Amino acid sequence: MSNYFEDLAHSVIAGQQDRVKQLTQQALDAGTDPVEIINQGLISGMNVVGARFKVGQMFVPEVLMSARAMNGGMELVKPLLVGQELPSAGKVVLGTVKGDLHDIGKNLVGMMLESAGFTVVNLGVDAGPQKFLQAIKEHKPGVIGMSALLTTTMLSMKDTIEVLKEEGLRNKVKVIVGGAPISQDFADEIGADGFAPDAASATDLCKKLLA
Amino acid sequence: MPAKSNYVANATPLFSILSPAQCEEIFLAAEEVLERTGVTVHDEEARDILKKAGCWLDGIRVRIPSAVVNQALNSVPKRVTLCNSRTGSRDVLLEGNNAYFGTGSDTPFTIDPYTGRRRRSTKQSVGWACKVIDALPNLDFVMSLGIVQDVPLLISDRHQFEAQVLNTSKPIVTTAHDIYGFADIIEMCEIIAGGEEELRRNPFMTLYAEPISPLQHAWEAASKLVLAARKGLPVVYTPCVMAGGTVPATMAGVLTNGLAESLSGLVINQATREGSPFIMGGVFTIMDMSSTIFSYGSPEFNLLMSALADMAHYLKLPMFGTAGCSDACVVDEQAGIEAALSIAMTALSGPNLNHDVGYIEYGSTSSLEYLTINNDVIGMARRLVRGIKVNDETLALDLIDKVGPGGHFLAEDHTMKYFKTETYYPELINRQRYDAWKENGSKTLFQRANEKVKDIIENYQPEPLPQDVQKRIRAIVERAEQKVH
Ligand code: B12
Repeated sequence: MSNYFEDLAHSVIAGQQDRVKQLTQQALDAGTDPVEIINQGLISGMNVVGARFKVGQMFVPEVLMSARAMNGGMELVKPLLVGQELPSAGKVVLGTVKGDLHDIGKNLVGMMLESAGFTVVNLGVDAGPQKFLQAIKEHKPGVIGMSALLTTTMLSMKDTIEVLKEEGLRNKVKVIVGGAPISQDFADEIGADGFAPDAASATDLCKKLLA
Repeated sequence: MPAKSNYVANATPLFSILSPAQCEEIFLAAEEVLERTGVTVHDEEARDILKKAGCWLDGIRVRIPSAVVNQALNSVPKRVTLCNSRTGSRDVLLEGNNAYFGTGSDTPFTIDPYTGRRRRSTKQSVGWACKVIDALPNLDFVMSLGIVQDVPLLISDRHQFEAQVLNTSKPIVTTAHDIYGFADIIEMCEIIAGGEEELRRNPFMTLYAEPISPLQHAWEAASKLVLAARKGLPVVYTPCVMAGGTVPATMAGVLTNGLAESLSGLVINQATREGSPFIMGGVFTIMDMSSTIFSYGSPEFNLLMSALADMAHYLKLPMFGTAGCSDACVVDEQAGIEAALSIAMTALSGPNLNHDVGYIEYGSTSSLEYLTINNDVIGMARRLVRGIKVNDETLALDLIDKVGPGGHFLAEDHTMKYFKTETYYPELINRQRYDAWKENGSKTLFQRANEKVKDIIENYQPEPLPQDVQKRIRAIVERAEQKVH
């Protein structure tokens, strides 16, 4: 079976969705444990993708193709996971803060997190403290990530953290921040748990915070 | 004199990326995008204006018939003039292939010329930048080179404008947080110009706004286009698109999508008031698919800039270009290479109002040393564009014969007459011989630039605004500050 898993992982890395689906179906037909397929084939392929992206050996569209291929396999496995939770690296709520419309960076962070096995709830742009608060109550994420590209809107990050404190939720969720004007100093100043300068390191940061 | 017929001369170098047929193809494709896919407009007033102009509305989605685009292209002025704020002198003629250079605006960070460290930009750093721009002869207009962060941030745009207009008399391309910020800035400008109509006749500023790719006009942007038209003031509208990210990865796809955004902005502006001055922008580039930056130095960025300039000339629209900027995180060899390429290509293709000179770190940081070095690069590029004049006087056959084999030209009247106009002498670029260079401290280009920057900051005096005008501007800044408290 080990060769088979290798083949599956390689197809994920190569971003070949049809091949991934075909191999996954074959394994299921042969009675392989769905959790094994996920962990040893699909996710193990994505782990390689993540590492290669980090060192510049793979590019964003290639990573997204791999993620798409992985999801193709996941769709087939999911219905068979009766009673078991789909393995997830954790849940992250992401949003671009109030007054800010820069969203491509935040979306990239979301896509990269999903590729690394996180469940992502994307609040879109113009997300104020109340929107984050509601999302925390509804989705119970391990991490919330706020994105701001404007010095005028980065202040809203602090407001959100204050609201979380008032609601007694601050200790229940990790808060991370990012975007062009954000720095580690700023993150410390407003009492966030972390800052990451790009999507690859945002993924590492979430893994670290939820470990 | 013989009769010399069928003689064709290049008065300047010829340089183009797109042929007229290719320009037409891309323009028609952009019109098709506007008719078929349309854009979203997140401002009710702008949507009403578009509806009255003959556009098709479907909620916030607006599809624009080609005839409406053509009408806007007919009504928009083919030229915009920007003036000196102190004298009203009409210095910057945005038309044809005239290429002017200036800085970029709101970088969160700047390199401190005294400590060499990257720090957040302040009112003082913006004031310094404007002084330096004012003093450099090859810089024609000003953008702030930093976002002011040591004042209440929600009204920092008023402070930023004050810091600019006190320190330079060159025309200003100004950003603002929203239309309320713009309203205050326009009021300041009207005071300086001596009235609303005076400002309209001799504008020394232009407003600035951006659509959101792909194909969206946010409330901020649409309302600024409407405000500019109502006020009869020029507005720069500039899509910042990333190949493979917010627009297709193919260069033709980038141009089509970006142009569709510009043209729909033009329609909002012209449908509000026909004949309003409008400057088409475009920072068209790639997203680096490894680091995910919006690149300010890639070859594609230069290629797209020149191609868009061809488009602007084809459509007879004044254009806002981008040059003299870099992805390098410090002012190093990479920064120099990227500036030289972009400034040369920009000068050769002739977009009109070219900004972002002095940006490093993909638009996040500004450097006054880089700006000062680029002042020389712009001078060099302008020399290239002046080309080679060929006539009896410049061929100099009589002189060549007079000096003859083995002589020299150093002491000839002809040399005296032409050596300065035919040659460009940069200020900071080294042409010293080794020993002289060593004797002068073995300084690098960066060190020489740093000294010049400090000299300007410490010794240069920009033309002041009259005392009472300064006071009235201050009052507007204070009024805004009161409102946030
Ligand atoms: C493209 C762009 C735009 C586009 C945005 C389109 C979109 N859909 O996002 C448009 C044209 C709409 C735009 C508009 C404006 N912009 Co703009 N924009 C840029 C530009 C050139 C690139 C940004 C970008 O998309 N980069 C590529 C993406 C992939 O990278 P990224 O956003 O940095 O995201 C990465 C990391 O930061 C990180 N990250 C991001 N978010 C998060 C969140 C978390 C939790 C974590 C961990 C990490 C993380 O990971 C991401 C992926 O690797 C920057 C320049 C710059 N240096 O950033 C200016 C810039 C950000 N913009 C600026 C300005 C001033 C504006 C405007 C105000 C201009 C105006 N006056 O109209 C408007 C504001 C509109 C608004 N209300 O938001 C300034 C900001 C100055 C400031 N500090 O306030 C900049 C720095 C340019 C400049 N030097 O003047 N802009």
